Amino acid sequence: MRPEPGGCCCRRPLRANGCVKNGELRNGYVRSSTATAAAAGQIHHVTENGGLYKRPFNEVFEETPMLVAVLTYVGYGVLTLFGYLRDFLRHWRIEKCHHATEREEQKDFVSLYQDFENFYTRNLYMRIRDNWNRPICSVPGARVDIMERKSHDYNWSFKYTGNIIKGVINMGSYNYLGFARNTGSCQEAAAEVLKEYGAGVCSTRQEIGNLDKHEELEKLVARFLGVEAAMTYGMGFATNSMNIPALVGKGCLILSDELNHASLVLGARLSGATIRIFKHNNMQSLEKLLKDAIVYGQPRTRRPWKKILILVEGIYSMEGSIVRLPEVIALKKKYKAYLYLDEAHSIGALGPSGRGVVDYFGLDPEDVDVMMGTFTKSFGAAGGYIGGKKELIDYLRTHSHSAVYATSMSPPVMEQIITSMKCIMGQDGTSLGSAFGREMLKRNIGVVVVGFPATPIIESRARFCLSAAHTKEILDTALKEIDEVGDLLQLKYSRRRLVPLLDRPFDETTYEETED
Amino acid sequence: MTGDAADSVPPIGRAQTAKGGHFLETTGVSAPLCPSRTVRASEAGRMNVGVAHSEVNPNTRVMNSRGIWLAYIILVGLLHVVLLSIPFFSIPVVWTLTNVIHNLAMYIFLHTVKGTPFETPDQGKARLLTHWEQMDYGLQFTSSRKFLSISPIVLYLLASFYTKYDAAHFIINTASLLSVLLPKLPQFHGVRLFGINKY
Repeated sequence: MRPEPGGCCCRRPLRANGCVKNGELRNGYVRSSTATAAAAGQIHHVTENGGLYKRPFNEVFEETPMLVAVLTYVGYGVLTLFGYLRDFLRHWRIEKCHHATEREEQKDFVSLYQDFENFYTRNLYMRIRDNWNRPICSVPGARVDIMERKSHDYNWSFKYTGNIIKGVINMGSYNYLGFARNTGSCQEAAAEVLKEYGAGVCSTRQEIGNLDKHEELEKLVARFLGVEAAMTYGMGFATNSMNIPALVGKGCLILSDELNHASLVLGARLSGATIRIFKHNNMQSLEKLLKDAIVYGQPRTRRPWKKILILVEGIYSMEGSIVRLPEVIALKKKYKAYLYLDEAHSIGALGPSGRGVVDYFGLDPEDVDVMMGTFTKSFGAAGGYIGGKKELIDYLRTHSHSAVYATSMSPPVMEQIITSMKCIMGQDGTSLGSAFGREMLKRNIGVVVVGFPATPIIESRARFCLSAAHTKEILDTALKEIDEVGDLLQLKYSRRRLVPLLDRPFDETTYEETED
Repeated sequence: MTGDAADSVPPIGRAQTAKGGHFLETTGVSAPLCPSRTVRASEAGRMNVGVAHSEVNPNTRVMNSRGIWLAYIILVGLLHVVLLSIPFFSIPVVWTLTNVIHNLAMYIFLHTVKGTPFETPDQGKARLLTHWEQMDYGLQFTSSRKFLSISPIVLYLLASFYTKYDAAHFIINTASLLSVLLPKLPQFHGVRLFGINKY
């Protein structure tokens, strides 16, 4: 790619050992010495002070070691073969069949249950099902109470023993700022509003469901984000899925990140626009798509696209990666596309004053055309918002499906958001921002575990959600237990050596996300 | 092509990476890959919820994953070693058996089993497709397809050598190779001879 003089936001791909090819340092990109660290995995996109980033931004994801990958496939292979065996036994009634089947009389009709599509559910998921859908019976704060359940038929059914496992360290809730509690100013304010307004609104925004609290909340959200106006919705998922169709339609192009959330994907598909996917956080891929879109236009007619909308998220919850917002904005300005930023996880949690990923990079909120976010995570409430220019929000008030058909947000929830947002604005909203589940539960820690097919086949993950409500003691306990479990299950795959923190001057001005 | 239900098997396309522009729309179907028709919200109940990717059908990407070719080679090697350890099989028999068993397993898992072992948000587009037809969404001549076409050929050559080109072994090995190579041809994409394995 021919480099542009100054301000180019794409860079040459690095060689596998991290070195840039000879003579290709351009535009002020400094070859970082840490980039050449001989980590076993490949290094993706290490950048330093490109002029777009005000501070060094270092995000590195290691690839799985080959041996582990091969063993994972072997494991899946063995489980698949056993699955076939068990299905065979169940079919010939040698083994009892627990799942739903059609009645004998209906066997000749077109099948009601796609048996093969439930293969993984029946044979893999059922074995380890007790790690998911655990019922909790307390506020999901730093610690949570879980109802104990036992299964006597290998997880096909559960019985509650009546015990409650108390004080489980909660690393699975999106309680980033610790607002999920049942005591304190937020709760009192919400209780007051509940007494005054009741729990339900019983109408949509466009009919009788527009309360003064909605206006107050929207003004506050707009002020918080630094945009002209904002509009709130009762459900975060519905914010995405119902508003993207209002913004784009047939003849438009959506460029969506690989790892975008289901709500964004659904909204994009409902809109009827053409969807093209770029590799996760990969600016070269995005730029190539933009160039091709503008040069070639729509597929058969070659007409120019009516609109090009880039869909990205602030933080991708399953990867833990932060979007390269300065580069995305530079690209969007260069190619005159629109940007839709979903800050579900990053609002409240990133940035010196908690205003999200725009604040984190020190950028201008006006550069992002549509700022979307949810109140479910950092604010401990429910619902979502969209912020942007006044014309945009006015348009959405009339054209959004949520505004027209969905009931508006409930008053106590709004009060919770108002109180928590005022809390964040009033004080520093910094947060810690950032085989297995069962062992962790044994050690009283709750995490979220995901595997194939929800992740690529060799990339199952356990996700830890840190919260401002976690005290240092809790985190120390958690780290100790994670360390133990990691050793026990041989899960420590990173080949990086741990550098003691004192060796390097570490201050709040670096973005370092991993130790090198 | 067994005529009816033409929309159940999408026509194929070639990997047009050299020609610019057509990023994901190389399957040549009349509807683009990520469908631009509207999906009723009620149908999309479980779509991609709780997943860490936006891939509609993860099966299409399995053969491209890191380390799977190595795992496949190791598995074939393991099969061969297990057969070699059986005392009353001679070397030619062992090689022919490796070839035949490998081709049989490949035929079953790549060309017989249809659909996905998990629910996908594509509303059953892949239900009538074998794994070979699902790979890379029907794009032909990708590297995984080339790898999986070449490996039975390599095994065949090795088996021919070690059986010293004996006639009986030759017939068995060739028949087995043909049975596993023919379904891989692009002309046989979606073809179901005599209606076998159609639904």
